[in-house]
Amino acid sequence: MKDDGIECLAFLGGKAQFSTPLHVGQMNLPKWEHFENAFRDVFARRYYTNHGPLAQELEDRLAEFFGVRHVVTMTNGTIALMLAAKALNLTGKVIVPAFTFAATVQSLTWAGVEPLFCDVDPQTHVLTPELVAPLLDDPDVSAILPVHLWGNLCNAEALEELAQRKGISVYYDAAHAFGCTRKGEKAGCHGALEVFSFHATNVFNTAEGGCVCTNDDDIAERLRNLRSSYGRRISVDIPINGNGRFSEAQAAMGLLSFDDYPAIITANKARFELYTELLGNIPGIRILQPVSGEKHNYQYVVLEIDSQVFGLTRDQLIRLLEAENVLARRYFAPGMHRCMPYKGSYPNVVDALPTTDMLCECVMQLSSGQAVSLQDVRVTCELINFIYDNAESLRLRLP
Amino acid sequence: MKHSINELALFGGQPAFDSLRPISNLLRPDIERFLEYAKTIYDAKQFTNNGVLVRQMEERFSLLHGTRHCIAFCSGFMALMMAMRSCALPDKTEVVMPSLTYRRMADIAAWAGLVPHFCDVDVVSLGMTAKTAANAVNEKTALILGVHPITNLCDIDGLEVLAQEHSIPLLFDAVEAAYAEHKGKMVGSFGKAEVFSLHASKQLNAFEGGYVTTDDDSLAEELRCVRGFGFAGKDNIVRLGLNAKLNELHAAMALACIDILPAHISQNRARHYAWQQTLADLPSLTLLLYSDTEPRGYKNVLVRCEDSWPLSRENTLHILHAENMLARPYYNPPLHESSSKLLTVCNTDLSATEKLTTQYILLPSGDFVSEKDIAVMGKLLIFMQQHAEEINRRIKEDNS
Repeated sequence: MKDDGIECLAFLGGKAQFSTPLHVGQMNLPKWEHFENAFRDVFARRYYTNHGPLAQELEDRLAEFFGVRHVVTMTNGTIALMLAAKALNLTGKVIVPAFTFAATVQSLTWAGVEPLFCDVDPQTHVLTPELVAPLLDDPDVSAILPVHLWGNLCNAEALEELAQRKGISVYYDAAHAFGCTRKGEKAGCHGALEVFSFHATNVFNTAEGGCVCTNDDDIAERLRNLRSSYGRRISVDIPINGNGRFSEAQAAMGLLSFDDYPAIITANKARFELYTELLGNIPGIRILQPVSGEKHNYQYVVLEIDSQVFGLTRDQLIRLLEAENVLARRYFAPGMHRCMPYKGSYPNVVDALPTTDMLCECVMQLSSGQAVSLQDVRVTCELINFIYDNAESLRLRLP
Repeated sequence: MKHSINELALFGGQPAFDSLRPISNLLRPDIERFLEYAKTIYDAKQFTNNGVLVRQMEERFSLLHGTRHCIAFCSGFMALMMAMRSCALPDKTEVVMPSLTYRRMADIAAWAGLVPHFCDVDVVSLGMTAKTAANAVNEKTALILGVHPITNLCDIDGLEVLAQEHSIPLLFDAVEAAYAEHKGKMVGSFGKAEVFSLHASKQLNAFEGGYVTTDDDSLAEELRCVRGFGFAGKDNIVRLGLNAKLNELHAAMALACIDILPAHISQNRARHYAWQQTLADLPSLTLLLYSDTEPRGYKNVLVRCEDSWPLSRENTLHILHAENMLARPYYNPPLHESSSKLLTVCNTDLSATEKLTTQYILLPSGDFVSEKDIAVMGKLLIFMQQHAEEINRRIKEDNS
């Protein structure tokens, strides 16, 4: 360990703690034998895409898992969000957090509606009814698109009650929330629909991929029609045709992901709890915790750094960790309201989201997923403890 | 071999094939080769986000097409949408495109923020020409989309001149002309950029996928940027983007297919030749021949039903479908008839389109079809012609 003083830190010329990079994001690989067998089957079947047998099987298993009537698999989560907006016939503006991944907001622009940026709660990092309510005065609002960020589910009952009073839809970006619950109910069952991402960085991995869940038969059929003519049950009226097809290769991966899911969650939880144990007492670091009693996927290890207390800024800490091959990330900085093209389009909101701006300055994620061993977690935490202990002298050496 | 019309599957007989014979290529590469590529995913622990295999695939395709750049996408649809949007003149609104083309082309234009302005095609080549496109060019034109028809090529030289004369960018949809050559140069290097599909039904199968080729450095950079949420480096979004990335599983499949491309084209050529032999005895169905002077992909088998073909196209398709032959009408209905929900412009003569859309049938081809199958299908078509009168009577009776 770094007991020879700060000079042994890789940033200051020492040897990196890890020889290969540790990433943020799950990247869970199924066992090679399972992968090989699954693809030998696909090749033997000679069915490659267009809502094949594996895609259908996966949709059925997902519907059972989420406890929802319909699951419509899609090419990726972003395309799923774009087609969801079309399925809901949205117009005008949609209330959306700026503290989210780019896809949430960009999907609206592609679907021809405007984002109306909303701030988030400093504790949970998600939209609350209190923050949303004042924006509902805008007569052009046609929906609310809250994000279950980091797998923390929004207060769906209250948000949906607000929306109902106004006669508009709520639909969720549940990209991070696979398997997470609120009051015992899984993400996937709320609002008009919920959208998941199966990108490899998420706990359920189809390389790229995603799905839309809904209990509404009409919305489900519109989604199937928007995705492609393959897999639709009846032809229904949609404003435009899209392409959101999900291949048999993606579906094969999804089915393998299902088999590994319980073990993945157990391993994620062990890593998460070890991070919490070893970093929890460092002043100036807060680790976002799931609500007790609820199910969680523990796919992200999210930290807030209070630079006044910790002694270094979030960016300084990340720089030091990156040099050690711990590729910590700062999702999401800057907020979407400060990114192109929104920065130029909505200059009036740029300074209207104080919590978002604050979180963009202090939130970071640590490495997670299958490639990160518990020993890697211990070493990472020792590093962070070391950095904290030497924060004062490091501050003088850092830009 | 059928002896009476009662043996036609439509009338209760045994189908000529016990499994489907599609028009889709559905190329199956060597599984061992695919698994070898897939091992890279395990070694690199990377499933997507411009991975090793996507980069390798892009390199192979840019070598193949002789272009500086190849940019991979999750589908041909997305590749077209992004390329249309990035190539179009920013202050104009319309894209000139044929009406006789892929059934989702007008939707793609709409997603790209453009209004399709339909033009006619040439009655012989089935492709648009400088003359048919010029009828639709006006002060609002942002882009000309040169779409290659399903066998040979559209008027590449003429369209390049037209585009240059009007200073309008020219984008080619080369989905159906992949791996063809024009004057000794591979398709892929014409116009500002060209778009290809890797959908399983196309010449090369990546499950799903597509790509754009171009020699334009800034266009390539913009396309790479938009397909990955508009990121230019970590945490830096410089423009509106989305997720149109090709994943590594699909790239592995594409690579395994590229490895057998020349052999596969030979197989398709042999199949096409078998169709030519078979249909030689049936002058009422005219097979569209590929150029005999320049390389082609030979994927599609397209026939024109002449006036002497005694069955309606609709009934012909019914009969073939019952026999498990998934023959399809060629681009029917055309876009100017099917795109009523979208904003479009349709004010030029489309008489060739309206004629052609009723005449053509795509016959089974690709990896699921053997030369022996083709002989069986040929005999069936001859049988249908010989017994047409009886068949027509029977269909009429069954419908009444």
